[in-house]
Amino acid sequence: MATAAIRPSMGAAVSRISTMSRAQKPLQLACRRAIPASSSRPQPQQQQKVAPISTTAALLKRHTYVGARCNKDMNKKRGESALSRSGTRWRLSMSDEPLPKPVPREELPKIVTDENHGLWDFFRDRNAVAATPDEDAKHGRGWTVEELRHKSWDDLHRLWWVCVKERNRISTANYERGKSVLGFGEAESATREKEVKLTMRNIKHCLTERFYAWEDAVQLAKKDPEVDLSGKGPAFTPSQYLEDEVPSKQAQAQE
Amino acid sequence: MQPTRALLGMRFRKLRLTTKDVNKGFYKGTGTGAMGRHTKYGGYIIEWDRVRTYVCPDLKDFKLTPFVTKNVKPTYGQYETKLGPKDPALYLAKWKAENGLD
Repeated sequence: MATAAIRPSMGAAVSRISTMSRAQKPLQLACRRAIPASSSRPQPQQQQKVAPISTTAALLKRHTYVGARCNKDMNKKRGESALSRSGTRWRLSMSDEPLPKPVPREELPKIVTDENHGLWDFFRDRNAVAATPDEDAKHGRGWTVEELRHKSWDDLHRLWWVCVKERNRISTANYERGKSVLGFGEAESATREKEVKLTMRNIKHCLTERFYAWEDAVQLAKKDPEVDLSGKGPAFTPSQYLEDEVPSKQAQAQE
Repeated sequence: MQPTRALLGMRFRKLRLTTKDVNKGFYKGTGTGAMGRHTKYGGYIIEWDRVRTYVCPDLKDFKLTPFVTKNVKPTYGQYETKLGPKDPALYLAKWKAENGLD
């Protein structure tokens, strides 16, 4: 009976109950108490926006014994609904501050760069996005080993680093080409790098060969009477030179 | 079950060796070597005398390029002995010709 009295359509029935006999009065009182509870339900101020549409029964039963389970509503989003436009249960963070406007590129302070910075060596032309394949294809052949054999250690060392820088330049260009999806110049770049790598490989060949020859020459020099490897006095005393010198002086005196 | 396509057309020995092809204890590495050591607490100490330092020589006024013009035919050495450029006698003779100073 109590649940039926909550319904507004049962108002007529309630008025009829009031006219009933005194024996039924306790029931009538119960109904009167139920009607105002349904029409103006007290709600906390914070949750005004949220319409509790959940059909789950409220966990009203209090557990006060020792070790009692928690009665808290674990659903933090209960009652939130996009359909009924309930909004969130908490306030969203917002502020009145106006949004910053983007500054035009002309008004930005100019970025100062070092014109002579070493990193510029990674680009062949700092104003061009990429070299044309024709420009890339303009290269000679790599050095042969025989050509490098006549070069000094210092020259080979520097030539190695020139090769390293050239390869850096090529791979930077490769990266740039991939980044801008240009779709050309890969083959030219690859053949160019192949020649540089050939030069580097031949430099290594030449130096290894020279080292092996030096190792063997040291062993040979130990048997050579003209060479003194003890570190005292000159390392090389040419016998042929001294023999030539004496007769030539005598010849001059005779003249 | 059938072997992977890489194995079908190729001989196994021709493939790159991986840790799955050999027994325990195989360390492939990258051929670069260590630059420090591990501590027993799991850290790593960099030993600066092991860290590679590359010294680039002064390239100012250096005229050589990685390339030789294609107008010059590639030259190959003519050597009398079988050892060729590796001949120690040749090295010693050249050293003597340059006054044997170094």
